[in-house]
Amino acid sequence: MKKSAIFGLVVIAIAIAVIISTYSSSSTYGTFTDAKEQASTMQVVGKLNKEKELYYDATKDANYFSFYMKDNKGAECKVIFTGTKPQDFERSEQVVLTGKMVGNEFHASKILMKCPSKYTNDKMEETEFNAKQASL
Amino acid sequence: MDTVFKGEHLLPGQLGQFFVVLAFGAALLSTIAYFFAANDINKLDKSWQRIGRIGFWLNTTSVIGIGVCLFYIIYNHFFEYHYAYAHSSRSLPVYYIISSFWEGQEGSFWLWTFWQAVLGNLLIWRAKSWESPVLAVISVAQVLLSSFLLGVEIFGARIGSSPFILLRDALELPFLKRPDYLAFVRDGNGLSPLLQNYWMVIHPPTLFLGFASMIIPFAYGIAGLWQKRYKEWVGPAISYSLFAVMVLGTGIIMGSFWAYESLNFGGFWAWDPVENASVIPWLTLIGAVHVLIVFKNSGHAYFTALFLTLISFVLVLYASYLTRSGVLGETSVHAFTDLGMNAHLIIDVLVFLVIAVVAIVARWKELPFSQKEEETYSREFWLFVGSVFLALSCLQLVAVTSIPVFNAVFGTKVAPPNEPVTLYNIFQGAFAVVVALFMGFTQFLKYKKTEPARFLINAGAYLLSAILIGGVVVWLTGVYKLHTVYSLLTITAIYAVLSNGKVLADALKGKLKLAGSAVAHIGFGLLLIGAMISAGTSKVVSENATGEMYSEEFAKANNPRENIMLYKNQPVQMGEYEVTYTGDSIALPNHYFKVDYKKKDAQGKVTEQFTLTPNSQANRKMGLVSSPDTKHYLFHDLYTHVSMAPIKYEDELRQQAGGGDDGHDAEQNDDSNYDAPVPHQVAIGDTIRYREGFMILKALARQTTLQSIKLKADDVAVGAELEITTHGKVYKALPVYLIRGNNGFDFAKKVEDAGLKLRLTKIIPKDNKVEITVYQQPESKKQYIVMRAIMFPYINFFWSGTIIMVIGFLMSIFRRNKELKTV
Repeated sequence: MKKSAIFGLVVIAIAIAVIISTYSSSSTYGTFTDAKEQASTMQVVGKLNKEKELYYDATKDANYFSFYMKDNKGAECKVIFTGTKPQDFERSEQVVLTGKMVGNEFHASKILMKCPSKYTNDKMEETEFNAKQASL
Repeated sequence: MDTVFKGEHLLPGQLGQFFVVLAFGAALLSTIAYFFAANDINKLDKSWQRIGRIGFWLNTTSVIGIGVCLFYIIYNHFFEYHYAYAHSSRSLPVYYIISSFWEGQEGSFWLWTFWQAVLGNLLIWRAKSWESPVLAVISVAQVLLSSFLLGVEIFGARIGSSPFILLRDALELPFLKRPDYLAFVRDGNGLSPLLQNYWMVIHPPTLFLGFASMIIPFAYGIAGLWQKRYKEWVGPAISYSLFAVMVLGTGIIMGSFWAYESLNFGGFWAWDPVENASVIPWLTLIGAVHVLIVFKNSGHAYFTALFLTLISFVLVLYASYLTRSGVLGETSVHAFTDLGMNAHLIIDVLVFLVIAVVAIVARWKELPFSQKEEETYSREFWLFVGSVFLALSCLQLVAVTSIPVFNAVFGTKVAPPNEPVTLYNIFQGAFAVVVALFMGFTQFLKYKKTEPARFLINAGAYLLSAILIGGVVVWLTGVYKLHTVYSLLTITAIYAVLSNGKVLADALKGKLKLAGSAVAHIGFGLLLIGAMISAGTSKVVSENATGEMYSEEFAKANNPRENIMLYKNQPVQMGEYEVTYTGDSIALPNHYFKVDYKKKDAQGKVTEQFTLTPNSQANRKMGLVSSPDTKHYLFHDLYTHVSMAPIKYEDELRQQAGGGDDGHDAEQNDDSNYDAPVPHQVAIGDTIRYREGFMILKALARQTTLQSIKLKADDVAVGAELEITTHGKVYKALPVYLIRGNNGFDFAKKVEDAGLKLRLTKIIPKDNKVEITVYQQPESKKQYIVMRAIMFPYINFFWSGTIIMVIGFLMSIFRRNKELKTV
């Protein structure tokens, strides 16, 4: 066989390996119930429950932040994050957690939150009205 | 309804919009004219070419016109324009007005089309016989880029987004309908604090010059196929590819340096989709450069060279689709928001993909494929293999980064990997091992044929020394504790540096033209070593073992805790340093924290001392935005950033700076910030102890002046000179007692740094004593910061490797340009 043909096969093999491993390493978005059933790390999408307490007291422990989140199925769970409270967390619209369930608490190693954009209309409205009151 | 709006400046916007449309039209004209010029059989007839040039120059002028109008609007704070409102504010200094210029999508499209126009003019001047076909391709790109700025509605669909849209048109708000609405729009939204950094002034222009120059090799590739000059295009394509790779590489590393210096994710590379999107075309074009050289020297690998050259530019467009369409959504922290241009961006990618595919398919039968087989012991074969590996590494980057795209296309819900950074590090590391190995031994191969025995001895000897040196490095830096890939990569990168060092040494003895590639390879090798060691062995210094434990299980699963808390003026031991948060200084809008670092030897003598000032900005819209401060040593960096601090919002600080009033109510409120007061009766020389130190009453002295009150002739004012010692620091305070007529008043003195308020509350003449009332702040009211510190070893290899690599690229460009005789 020609050398280039062998090399071509090697390249194709590696390409397939890369693609398969990409998808085997990719994760799935789950719910708290899924997380409870499988002990492995997964990503949960949901909303912060703004009515319940967000606990962070740097003077007690700078690396402990807890809050309650509702996943997309509506199940609620206490979440603990080892780290400082992300700024403006209260204003988040959507939260993506990476972590796993320990007992009845979800221990998150990563929080990704979506805030209302700086420039979207509803946010604009709020700031504009402030300006208006101030000038009257 | 025609409302006359007060105070608007409509002329610059109308002029700007005129230029936008003109730029689009002129680019279209230029495309058509150059197309006919390139297809013209009579090469002496220059009339189409002349029209093409006029079109392109008109396009360039309009693009500059757009820039001038937009800058004028932002510079003069015309907030009736949405772009100025959204991206700037009155308080921005001029150099940040420049960065606000390209904060938005429209501005960055402008930057891109501007560079492309500049490069187009360069080619009109230099490309000679290539001008018509090459500029035809570039003009197509100009048409598409300027269409992104149009903001015109055609058949009910809005095409592009104009930077000159008015605020009242952009937003549907009732008060914007009022004729005097501008009176309420006093200030703009401002520039994101993260971008208020000098790197943000120069990083985007460099990056976009890199993106813009990627089109030149693409255009030459297409032109070569189109004009059936199948081999000639390779020469100029090599030079311009080297230029593109150099500039884009510089731009990417500038971004990485900005992230390292001013963002707080704690590192210089995070494999964020936005970063990946810019590094993918860079890698493929580097692959392309190598294969182009292979073809030039040996006639092999024509298709791979062509393919990589063309795909690189298509990937640039794909990258802009990824970052600008909002498709990345929840996977990326810093992609642009969606401007509803999804379809438009996809069309942009498809247009160039189709051009490339059609050109290749149409000419397939005539392409100069080599029939011979490469020799195994030849440079061309292994250069080719190495480049293919480089391109393969991109496949993984593309696949993982595109997960959201696949989700959007197929409606699946696949989440990106849980630990993307580790995944990328190991995957890309593995590819880098192979590439670095090739970078090493290919240097011992010659084109056509090399004598195997000689090659094996040379390459083997260097590999052996690399293993020895690398082994020591891996051992000393502790890389061996990590995944094996890290150790392998360190060794192979050292191999690449060594063997290219040999080439460089030879080059200095005579074969000077080979120096460029050797220098670039050495730079890349050093960059890999630096990245590997510093990312792999970076260590959080601010580990916190204290802190209340919530549950044992929790503590077990979550160590180490990476933030420590520092109360003001209370030293904390952190690793080998004693750190103290000693004070603040405010330079609006930033709040700087002084953090004092001390290193002591066994006897407790201070051997090293320095102060870092990380800063934060409490922004109403974005929350606390922190920038780190870094102590640079030759062989490592100590990086410190504040992750949490109870500081006031920017606007509160501004108000405070405007003048505070301390009414009686304020005084009452103030007391609630302290623990219950404790009175002490003391004589001169007595000591008062309190929780965090002690104070001595040094003297009582009659005061002739008081800060806030004018003294009358019969007033008696007595001051108590107190010397306070706390946490190794000494402060002085002078509370005053004033007797006016039959009334006594006392004036408290605050020692903010010590968290104390002191009052001279009573004078007791018969005992020769006074009463000092001590207020001290409870722990929770005391000022504190929560801080994270990371040690990055050998990071300077990374930066210096980058600089060396860029120098190498520059040398190669000069060499290739000398070889080039453009007709």
